[in-house]
Order: sequence, then structure tokens, then C-alpha cells
Amino acid sequence: MWSLLPCSKLLFFAAMLFISVIVKAQETTLVAVGNSSSVPSDMKLSELKAILLGEKQRWKNGSRIIIALMKTNTMIGKNTSSRMYDMTGDQLNKYWLALVFQGKAQAPNFFSSTNDLENFVAQTQGAIGIVDKPIIDGELRGVLVNGQKSF
Amino acid sequence: MNINYLKKINFLHNMKSNCYLTCFLFFTFFFKISTAQITQIKGFVDVSSSYQNNKVSFGFGEQDLFITSVLSDKISFLGESVFKFSSTSSTSFGVSIERIIINYNLKGNNNLILGKVHTPVNYWNDSYHHGRVFFPTIDRPLLFSANIIPLHTVGIGLQGYDLGNLKFGYNLFVGNGLESMEILDNGKNKSFTAAIHIKPADKLRLGMSWYHDVISKGATVHEKLIGSKVNQNLFTASVSRFGKKMEFLAEGTTGVNHTDSTGSKSTMAGYLYAGYKLTEKLVPYVRFDALQFQKGEIYYDQNNTTAFTAGLRYEINYLAVVKLEYQHRNSQLLNLTNKITVQFAIGF
Repeated sequence: MWSLLPCSKLLFFAAMLFISVIVKAQETTLVAVGNSSSVPSDMKLSELKAILLGEKQRWKNGSRIIIALMKTNTMIGKNTSSRMYDMTGDQLNKYWLALVFQGKAQAPNFFSSTNDLENFVAQTQGAIGIVDKPIIDGELRGVLVNGQKSF
Repeated sequence: MNINYLKKINFLHNMKSNCYLTCFLFFTFFFKISTAQITQIKGFVDVSSSYQNNKVSFGFGEQDLFITSVLSDKISFLGESVFKFSSTSSTSFGVSIERIIINYNLKGNNNLILGKVHTPVNYWNDSYHHGRVFFPTIDRPLLFSANIIPLHTVGIGLQGYDLGNLKFGYNLFVGNGLESMEILDNGKNKSFTAAIHIKPADKLRLGMSWYHDVISKGATVHEKLIGSKVNQNLFTASVSRFGKKMEFLAEGTTGVNHTDSTGSKSTMAGYLYAGYKLTEKLVPYVRFDALQFQKGEIYYDQNNTTAFTAGLRYEINYLAVVKLEYQHRNSQLLNLTNKITVQFAIGF
């Protein structure tokens, strides 16, 4: 029985390592993308969070900020909810529904694929979105956050 | 005769074709307009069952239709219509326009508001509106049913939010006032609402407001004939914090009604709500309500009341919430009442 104990400790350690690797793999880095004709090329993380929370709703030129997010049941959507909003997907949906219901903001646009999100941002003035690996071309611009490409 | 008949048939046929063409053009044009803007429709409804006086009752609440539309970069619209039970209606149901808001963005988070709003006197009235799925408890606090809070105002105002580091917000609203109809002010006096709030820390909101109105002698308010001119001032303060675990909301209103015959009479009304998230979906909660009317008050129905509510909220997801609640109420007019209610509220 005593000889089994180190073995079980080893198994436990290996399992924890395995779980942490899986969790790490699921927490992919995020990248902000914006419409190149209206969204600034860099901003602070606090400003990005204020935008995503609907606290800042206008760009400096007065045009409306349009938010594009991945659906909260996608991996990127889950990561965006937890890391940018400190919420679960359900909490994020409720937060926005309440804000819209109060008449204080327009709901973000939710997408199932990053391609659709990027196309929307590229075609929509004032749009900013969160993806994992952007394909930057034409009207789509990567936005540096605190000077970094990803966060 | 046959030729005339054929001409008539031909005429009707052409007319029908023109009609189809007109309809087609109309819908094509309408569709183009529709697709040029972003319009969303949401709805909220709830069903409930209650046990009171050894009797079980089933029922359902308001069916709330909620429309938002972005018309341009600066202009947006919000409408809220409610279908609900009405004992005075021949069909047992009535339709009411709860909010019609045309919003014009002035600069940043500052807007000009036109239309019918939920008077922004306190957190509850400004946050939850008619969607029961958002309510932390089954029903509104008692100061609403006691008609202390002026639910709606039709008029014009300014609104700002999340300004500066303290996330300062304000509402300034001029409206028709309590004695008026939706389309016409019955009196010369206007109602004024001034409200401010700050969010000094994460999920914490502190707010206060002042509401002023003059109700003319002979006006009918809340189906009650007002016998003297009433000069009304409401002062409200609120604290709310809906954190990751703890939920807390407390609001208090002092209503001062002045008439020439009674002088100034003060009413104190408020409630305190607290909830604790046991899990992400399960929240037990309590609420305490108190209404205290000064002797001689003639505008409100004098019905000193205290109520204790304890309940359990289960949030299936953000669009479906089940609440089980017990309420013990002690009121001057109805004495003691005990009620158990279960409600299933959804958004769709």
C-alpha cells in the first residue's frame, strides 16, 4: 500500500499538468481588429474595455462605435467574455440585453465564424471586433492594445 | 351585353394587375427602407402561480414587446408596448405604450431624449422596465404599487452616462406631469426630473434624484379625484451593487405633498434587497419594504405597510428565470397577508 502512494502522487501531478496544458491551450490570445477608415490603430486596454462594455460609444470624430464579437458559445467568444468582461457567456448576453433594454446602448453584432466577423468589420465604418488570428487586408486593421498586437 | 361584360372583366383584370404591381413596388420600396436600418424586436413574458388564503391561482403577466432601431449615426428609436390584463376592457386585455423614445446623440454619451420615458427617479424604474426576466424579485417594490413613484413622463430631456473617471450620469427631463394624458397636458404646470448617479467602483452605483410636479385641483390621478391643488416634491437616493457574489440594492424616497388645506405632508417609502449567488445560477434573496405616510396626507392612499420577502432565483440562462418567493405583508388597510408565488419569466 505504501509503495502505491508515490505512484498515485505522480499520477496526480501528471493529471494536473495535463489539465493545465488543456486550459492553457483553450485560452488563446485575442486580437482587436477595426475598420481601417475609422478605427484608431492603437489604444489602451482600459479604452478597449470601456468600448466593449458600452461605456464609450463614440469615436473621437463623433461616429458611432459598432462592436463585433464572436458568439459566446464559441471558444473565442468564451475567452472574450472571461478576459475582457470578467463574465461568463450568459452574463455577457444578459449584460447587453439589459443595456439595450434600458436604451443606453446598441447591441453588439455576434458572429459564428471569424471570417464573417472580419468581413463585417471590414465593411462597416466604426466597427471594432475581437478575434484570435486576424487576416489583415484592405479595410481591416489590427489594433495595437497597450502597444501589443495581441493580449 | 357580352362585350360590356368582357370589357368589365378586362378592366378588373387590369386593375388587379395594377394593384399587384403597386403592392410589389410598395413592398420593394418598404423592404429597401427596412434593410437600410437596423431594427430588432424582443419580447418578455411571465407565467406565475400563487398560493394565498388557502387557494392556488394561476396567471400570467404582461406580454412586453420591445423594439429598437438605429435610423442613422445620430438617431435611434426605442419602443415598448405591453399587452396585459385589464378588468375594465371588454376583451379583458388592454394595450399600453410604455415607452416611445427618439434618441438624438448630441456628443459622446450625451443624448437628447424625446417621447415617453420611464421617469428616471430611481434605479429600479430606470433599469428594469417591464422585463420580469431582469427583476431580482418577482414583483416591483411596494412603493411602485402605492403610486409614490411617477412611472412615466411624456416630454423632452437630456441624458448622459459613463462620463469621466467616476462614470457620472445624469437625467434632466421636462414633461406633462401626473395629471396629463399621453398626448396633451391637462394643466399648465410641467413636471421636472433631475437625477444624477456615479459608479465610483466596479458594479457600484450611487444615485439621487429630485422630481417636482404640481397637480391641479379637480385632476384625476391614478383613478382618484384630487380635491386640492398639490405641490409635489420627491427626493430619492439609491445604492446598488450587483457583484460576482453579493447583490445589494437599497432605495428610499421622501415624498412631500403640499396643499393649502393640509400644509406639507411627508411620506417615507423604500426597500432594501440583498441576494447572494450560491452558484452562477442560484440566488437566494430577501427584500424588506416599508411605506410610512404622515397623518393628514391626502394625495396618497394612507396605508402604512411593511413587507418581508424571501425567495430563491434560478437563472436557467439569460433568457429564462424561475423564482420562488414567500411574502409576508402587514398593511394598515389589509392587515396581515402571506403569499407564496412561483414565477417563470422569459425573454424571447
